[in-house]
This record gives sequence, structure tokens and C-alpha cells, in this order.
Amino acid sequence: MDIKLKLVQLTHSVLTKLKRGGSFPGQLALAMDENFIDRFTMPPIVICVTGTNGKTSTANLIAESLRSAGLSVMNNRRGDNLKYGIATLLAANSNSNYEIHYNAAVIEIDELTLYRQFKHLKPTHLVITNFFRDQLDRAGEMETIIRKIEEVTEDFSGHLILNGDDPNVVRIADHAKNAKAHFYGVKENEVSQKTTDEASEGKFCPRCNAPLIYDYYQYSHIGSFHCPNDDFGKHIREMLVDSIDYKEGTFTIHQQIFHPRLCAIYNIYNCAAVLLTMKLLNLDLRKADKVFKEFLIQEGRNELFTLNEPCVINLIKNPTGANEVMKYILADDEEMNVCIFLNDGVQDGCDVSWIWDAHFERLNKPNIKEIICGGTRAYDMALRLKYEGLEDKIKVFEDMSSAIHYLNEANTKSYVMSTYTALHKARAILEKEAKA
Amino acid sequence: MKIKIIWMYHTLMDLYGDKGNIEVLKTRCQKRGIDCIVDTCAIGEDKNIDDYDLFFLGGGADKEQNMIFSDLIQRKESILEAMNHNTAFLLICGGYQLFGQYYKDQDGNIVDGLGFFDYYTESSDRDHRCIGDIAVETTMDGDTFQVVGFENHGGQTKDVNQPFARVLKGHGNIYKGEYEGFMNDTVLATYMHGPLLPKNPMVADKIILRALNKRHKVDSLESINDDLENKAREVMLKRLLK
Repeated sequence: MDIKLKLVQLTHSVLTKLKRGGSFPGQLALAMDENFIDRFTMPPIVICVTGTNGKTSTANLIAESLRSAGLSVMNNRRGDNLKYGIATLLAANSNSNYEIHYNAAVIEIDELTLYRQFKHLKPTHLVITNFFRDQLDRAGEMETIIRKIEEVTEDFSGHLILNGDDPNVVRIADHAKNAKAHFYGVKENEVSQKTTDEASEGKFCPRCNAPLIYDYYQYSHIGSFHCPNDDFGKHIREMLVDSIDYKEGTFTIHQQIFHPRLCAIYNIYNCAAVLLTMKLLNLDLRKADKVFKEFLIQEGRNELFTLNEPCVINLIKNPTGANEVMKYILADDEEMNVCIFLNDGVQDGCDVSWIWDAHFERLNKPNIKEIICGGTRAYDMALRLKYEGLEDKIKVFEDMSSAIHYLNEANTKSYVMSTYTALHKARAILEKEAKA
Repeated sequence: MKIKIIWMYHTLMDLYGDKGNIEVLKTRCQKRGIDCIVDTCAIGEDKNIDDYDLFFLGGGADKEQNMIFSDLIQRKESILEAMNHNTAFLLICGGYQLFGQYYKDQDGNIVDGLGFFDYYTESSDRDHRCIGDIAVETTMDGDTFQVVGFENHGGQTKDVNQPFARVLKGHGNIYKGEYEGFMNDTVLATYMHGPLLPKNPMVADKIILRALNKRHKVDSLESINDDLENKAREVMLKRLLK
């Protein structure tokens, strides 16, 4: 028995009894022992999930699918994906000898944390969803992150499960010579386009720097690409979505039909990652479909609140994510109000200039009646919209409760977009407002 | 009246929402009935810089910055000609650095700049990266005012004989520095993102005036409603200068 581990576990169980989650136990553990994460005997299957967008959804869908196939699984469901959160997860699920008796661990891990913790977690599978331009003040340039991940996967000998339609992810396979690389993707469909105004990264071949040629784009720089000079982009996608029926809310792979709860292109990619993982573990794909159908991916991801009229809230955190959420909102032609909470906490990114890279001009649509701006940088958001000619529709509330109350009293269907640190508070206010 | 803007390498040097600056210039011109034409210029594209009234070069990631550099060097004469004919320049971050003597990276490699001004830039170590919200005070073409933005740069720019502004909160040209950017009668070069112009309409209007004065004689611009702009700036000033 290890006294430090015992102390951490005790702290965790006390906090849990007090209904206080959080990653304090992990913080305590790492303060006492910097190699804490390395000490555990991990389950035979350890799946790490990283990338810019879709980490939490994909990791949760994988964990639930594995459970649905009969495996015992531990995972960081709430997306505590930094080292303290992960240390907490391990401590809470191990016995007093640092042994974790589950069939599998599914660990969502932040791109930057991956660099330091990857080897300690002894992963058997690494899933990478995508790399987009993210919070530059926190994460630095995307190129730097990719290089770091290339570095830690250099001698990785497990399975890489890679988004085969993202050149920034595909290039990881070039460096990981010992790993078994597998790719997933989605064929051309209704939302695919020949040209784009959304791509900002991944324009060049990582091998020869030539501009990549795209047959089509799905969203941002995700799509079917190849290099005119070499073989980059000629990989085989083992799990390939053949078609998507957005009206029915289904997609098809080899004539098998799947039913995602959220039928949006970015979520179909998440599902494809899950299915490829299941296939590599020889598990029944139908078990995953059951999860796709029933499992609420996560709080604040397309979550419905019943105010006087329906209100759907979504997390936004970078240009690509915001663009995709807006596409979903814009597919709805009913009269509506939109509310945006922009915060600039450390977890949101202190630099809010990313809103100028997102296509907020698309909100200039007649069925959108009012756009309510809130959060610590409400006026920056309002200004962004003003420069898209939306001045007459903008309302600014410095206080989030007043913003949501106004939204409710308007008796109009609404969509809320919120950055990370405002999301929790927004949900709490929405819950209250829904009951009132 | 009309101004013509040349936006350099807009698909590569587009970090930190710098394209917002162009949006602001366009909109503020339109509201006053000034024609504003924005042309872009990519690597290898044949453009006469002197045909334009405003030259805009934003910041890029290291990889992109290296890609455009040899193209930019080849345009040196054309840029100098435009500068001598009173073209206005707005240079952000990487654009700022490239107009100086040189940039020395972390490994000690020196990349020569265009050499128009005396300042030079040296890469800092990780602990001295200048990052965060910034507030400065500038006197620009006769008016003194406060400006806010966000800075995020490793490069330390030294020997700046004519800074753009005095730092009130933040770093500026060097870690914990006193001054921010470079400015003379036609060139404004700065590390300030945010983007710079939306929340700082006074700077935007000064730049429009500079650009207009290449071909016209204009002393002032018609005032327009800047309530939201001022509010956004005040929120940040209040937070930083409390």
C-alpha cells in the first residue's frame, strides 16, 4: 500500500461525497510525486484521444461503445483532459497498488498535455481527430503542436487511428514508423464543396511544401486532398463513410446504416473514428450505433433547454468549431434569436481575435431577429457583428442572467453559443430559467 | 475620393484575425462615401506597390513567414518607391519585423530584413515571450489617445528610434518594455493584434487620412457613431489600468 496514493484516493472520495468533482486530487498527487501518472499498471487496452475539436465527443462515444460491447471501461467523461484531471482519473480507479482493473481506459487528452504524458499512459491506441487553428495564446502555433506530437509518437508501436481527411493529422503517420497507422474518412456528400473560404492551415504538403490539391472540402481544410508531386494523400481509408442522409439523420458504411443523434458533418467524423476503433478491437459495430442513437454526447453540445420556446446551446472555442455550429443553426429557417457568450478566461484563450477568423457574417439572415451578446468580451463580439452589417440586430448584456432572461421573455426559439468558461454558468442559468 | 489598399499575402499572413483591420478600413471609408478598393497580392503576383495608397502586411506563423520572405525582398525597390511617394503603411507583427535590419532566431541564425529602418529583432527564450492584453498611449499625427490590443510575440525588437506608443500595461517591443511599435509620418508598425483597428477607431481614421493624403488634401474625416467601439476599448482599459 502506498500512503501517498491512499491520501489522494481519500481526498477524491471525500470531495465526491461533498459532490465536488474537479481535479484537485490529481494536483495533490503530482505535487507529492511528479512521476505519479507513470506508476500505474494500466488496463490491456488504453485508448488516448486527442486533436483540436471533437475530443470529448469522440472519447465518450468510444467509451460508451466499448461498454455497450461488454467491456469494463474507465474514462474522463467530463473532459478533464489536462494532467491533473488525468491523474485524478487514474487514482480514483486504481486499487491501493496502482493497479487499474478495467478492460479498457479511454482517455481524452489535451494536445499539449499529450506531449508530456503520452509515454506514461502506455497507450495501445491513439486517436487523432483533427488539427485546427486554436487558442494561439495558450497553444501557440499549430505547427509547433504537430511537431511535438510527431516527436512523442516517433517510437510508438501501437495503433494510430487518424482522420484521413485532415492533412495535418495524416502527416503524423510519416514520422511514427513503428506504429500501425489506420485512417478514417467521409466520401463526398451534400455539404462537400469544390472551393472553400474556411481553410487556414494545412494548405501545403508536409513532405515537399507544394500546395495540396483538393477534390472537395467537407469543412475547414478537412476533405479529399493529395499532393501533385508525391504520394501524400494516397493512403487508404479503412473506415470510409459512403453516404450521409441529412434529412433522415443517417449515414452508411458498406450498406450498414448508422443513426447519429447529431447528424452534422463534424460529428460523422467523430463516429467514423469510433467505428474504426471498434473494428480494430474486433467489436461489433452495431453496438456503437446503439450508442450513437441514444447517448447524449456531452453537456453543452447541442443541448436542448425548454424555455418558453426551445433553446439549444453549443460550445464554441475556435473559428472552425464556431463555423460548424453556425451552419447547424443556419439550417433552421424558423424565426429565431441568437445569443453569443464570449469570455476571455485562460481556458477560452485570452486572445479573442479568433472571432474575426470565424464566419459570423453568415448570421446575416432574415429569420434571425436579434443577436444578444454577453460574456466578459461582449462588446468585442458586438463589434465583430457590427462590421458585418448586423448593427440593428445587436443587443449587449453585461450580465449573463439578464441576457438569458431576455432571450426567454422574447418567446422566440433561440440558439446560444458560448465559450468554455461561460458554458457552465450559461447552463445553470438556462436550467433555472427553464424551471421558472 | 478614393483609396486603394494593397493587402499583402492575405492567405498566408493572416494570423490573429488581422483581416479584421481591412474590414474596418473598408467600412469606415464606405460610411463616409470614400471609395475603398482592396487588392490582394500573392507570392509571384505582378503588382506595382506605388499604385496604392495603403500597404498592409499582417503577421504569419513562422512557416508562412519564411515562405513569403524571398518574394518580399524582390519587391524592395517597388516598396521603397511607394514609401518615397507617401504611401501609408500598416505593418503588424511579422510585417513589422521584416521592415527592420534583421531577425535573429533562437538558434542564432540571422535573416536579413528589408532594412528600411534601424531596428532589429532577436528571438527571446520561452520565459520572455510577450503575451497578453496591452494598453498604450500614442501621439499620432497631432492627437494623443490610448490604444488597446493583444500582443503575442517572442521577438524582441530593439533600437527603435521612433516608437508608436508608450506602454501603459503590457510589454511592447521588448519583454517588460517601455515602448511599443515603430511609427513615422507614413509607416505604423506594431505588435498589437486584437485585431488592432476595430476597438481603436482613432488609429483607423488616422490611417485612412494618411492613405487619402497620398493623392488628396484632407485634414479631417466626418465623425461617425463609435459607441460600440469605444465601449469595447473602455472595458479593456478599465480592466488593465485599474
